[in-house]
Amino acid sequence: MSPEVAAAAERLGEQGLLSPAQRALFARVARGELVSVYRELRLALYAGILVAMAGVGLLVKENFARLGPLAVATALALAAAACLAWVQRRSPAFSWREAASPHLAFEYVLLLGVLLAGADLAYVEARFAPLGPAWPWHLLAMAIVAGVLAVRYDSRIVFSLALSTFAAWRGVSVVLLEKAFWSGSDPASSLRANAVGVGVAFLLLGAALVPLDRKAHFEPVAVHAGWILVLGALASGLGGRSPAGDLGLLLAGGGVAAFAFRRARFSLFVLGVLAAYVALSALFLRIDPGFTGGSLWFALTSLAVLGGLLGVHRRLRPA
Amino acid sequence: MRPDGAEADRRREVRAAARGWRRASAIDDATLAAIRASYPDDRGRLGPAFRSLAFVLTALALNAAFFFVIAVADPRGDAVGILALAFGIVLCALTEVQIGLLKRAEGGIEAASAFVGIAYVIGAAGWLMNEAHMPERTLVLAVLALAAALLAAAAARWGMPLCAALAAGAFFLLLARSPAGRLFWIAAAAAAAPLLVIFGDSPRLPPVHRRSCQAALAVALLAFYAAFNLWSWDHAFVESLGPGRAPALKDSSLRPLAMAGTVLIPAAALAFGIRSRRRLFLDLGVVLAVASLVTLRFYVHVAPLWLILTAGGSAAILGSLAIRRFLDSGAGRERRGFTAEPLFEDLSRQGALETAAALASAPSARRVPAEDRSFTSGGGRFGGGGATGEY
Repeated sequence: MSPEVAAAAERLGEQGLLSPAQRALFARVARGELVSVYRELRLALYAGILVAMAGVGLLVKENFARLGPLAVATALALAAAACLAWVQRRSPAFSWREAASPHLAFEYVLLLGVLLAGADLAYVEARFAPLGPAWPWHLLAMAIVAGVLAVRYDSRIVFSLALSTFAAWRGVSVVLLEKAFWSGSDPASSLRANAVGVGVAFLLLGAALVPLDRKAHFEPVAVHAGWILVLGALASGLGGRSPAGDLGLLLAGGGVAAFAFRRARFSLFVLGVLAAYVALSALFLRIDPGFTGGSLWFALTSLAVLGGLLGVHRRLRPA
Repeated sequence: MRPDGAEADRRREVRAAARGWRRASAIDDATLAAIRASYPDDRGRLGPAFRSLAFVLTALALNAAFFFVIAVADPRGDAVGILALAFGIVLCALTEVQIGLLKRAEGGIEAASAFVGIAYVIGAAGWLMNEAHMPERTLVLAVLALAAALLAAAAARWGMPLCAALAAGAFFLLLARSPAGRLFWIAAAAAAAPLLVIFGDSPRLPPVHRRSCQAALAVALLAFYAAFNLWSWDHAFVESLGPGRAPALKDSSLRPLAMAGTVLIPAAALAFGIRSRRRLFLDLGVVLAVASLVTLRFYVHVAPLWLILTAGGSAAILGSLAIRRFLDSGAGRERRGFTAEPLFEDLSRQGALETAAALASAPSARRVPAEDRSFTSGGGRFGGGGATGEY
């Protein structure tokens, strides 16, 4: 309820800025006479899917032996198929552009279908071990399936699931399948290198989506995931024996900030600035400045960064 | 709150509503520009991302500056408390200058100086009382009372709803330390709720003060429910927040009241929310209903957990779809003043949160160790897809 907005709607209507219909609707909403529960319904759908999936996971875990493998695998497959069939029936024709969601539950039912399919695949893998020690490949299969479904049904949530599953595949593969290949480095460094590689791949994917005009609205998901992976991987190596990792994070953070600033991506800009600041501070702390020096460093540098931030904001404001 | 600040806040409310109208394509760019010209904003504001960064950096700078002074001056005993008290007071004065003279609002910096300043004043008071060998019970009472008063004053003067919620929280913690804490929680919440509902709607108050009232109301309603909740009753939750040993309430003759409250309060909140079309009561009613169902599950094992979760999740999905269909089938796609249409809300943030949640913890598939052969679902430690590796 907002008396100011209700009064403003009346005033703007009298001034002719709003039509009578606009004025009536805006004032009605502002007076609390019409309330939307859209947000609550979406939240309930999302929470419902997560809770139901937790229940399904528990069901399979607790009744693993009793239910019989075929029954579990079939039930999960049928449930996933039912979800995907519903989605297919409701889905508009395929387009490389952004498509309006045909139903409030469309994306959530798709997500449920993909999650159930993933659970089914994991169950089959656990029970029958068709891939044996090469089981991480099923993560790649799941990532591809999720990616295809995300593109077909235009779902950013499922696209992010595909990306994270792909990253998981690389992480697990490095540890379990590619020990020999990465034998020259310790496991942490191998994982870090892989995470950086996957992050760069996501960034390239994001960069390709827009000029090709292929699901260009997925680009922010790929770019955010890519930078988070790159920065997270570099940050995990902070404070190591060599300052190269700190320098890498400093450069990457600065790069993200510059990239985000040019494209007015403020959340990424914040991420980049923070990463660069953390890296710079880690480099400074290498000289062991003590409590007094450290305090002075953080007091002065955070104020300097803050000043720079306000300067940047002032430059952006006229635009 | 200063009159010019209140006026700026009222204008901000209209500008925010106009942005929502534009987002929903209910008005065009020219109309939006005309509305912005009619309701100009004279405050220095930052967007959510810049604001968060400014808050973090300011809080870091202020704390680091204080620690630097401590490291250089090396004060002992009372001097630490006096220094912290002076620092806190200076920060509160700086907040006043920023919000008043410099006309800053939603900029992160003034919020950081306010929160850090209040925290230092409260911490310093506690330090000084401890140095004066004040009994612990009195010290905690005094600190909670001071926190409630300072935070309430900050909410009123600087228009910060989070301060109002924290003040209400400190107030209820203070009440919990009395011998009849639970009774006081019920009485205080019952007395405050109607007033906060009235003030939360009052056109005399600027929007940010109305939101402060609603934030305090939410805390009061949660305290009211917590005082009645059966689990809280049996485990003497409120009493455990006070000094001394919590009494055994499980065998009390008043226990049926707790059982009734656990059932009736969520239902009453939902009913009032539907009748008055108040989103706060609707949302809280749903949250409290879930809390009551969890409480029920704690006492009555009607079914295995997997069934409860699957049925509960399915019920949430089907219930949402049924409500949506019910509302959509009404005249003008609405019923009793409720609609399932998005109207003018900014949904991009919720969508981004859902995408981020899927990115961070996607439960997709997980391999079971060969020696175990038992199935485990759930997200990976990093990324998704049930990864057991770490990045």
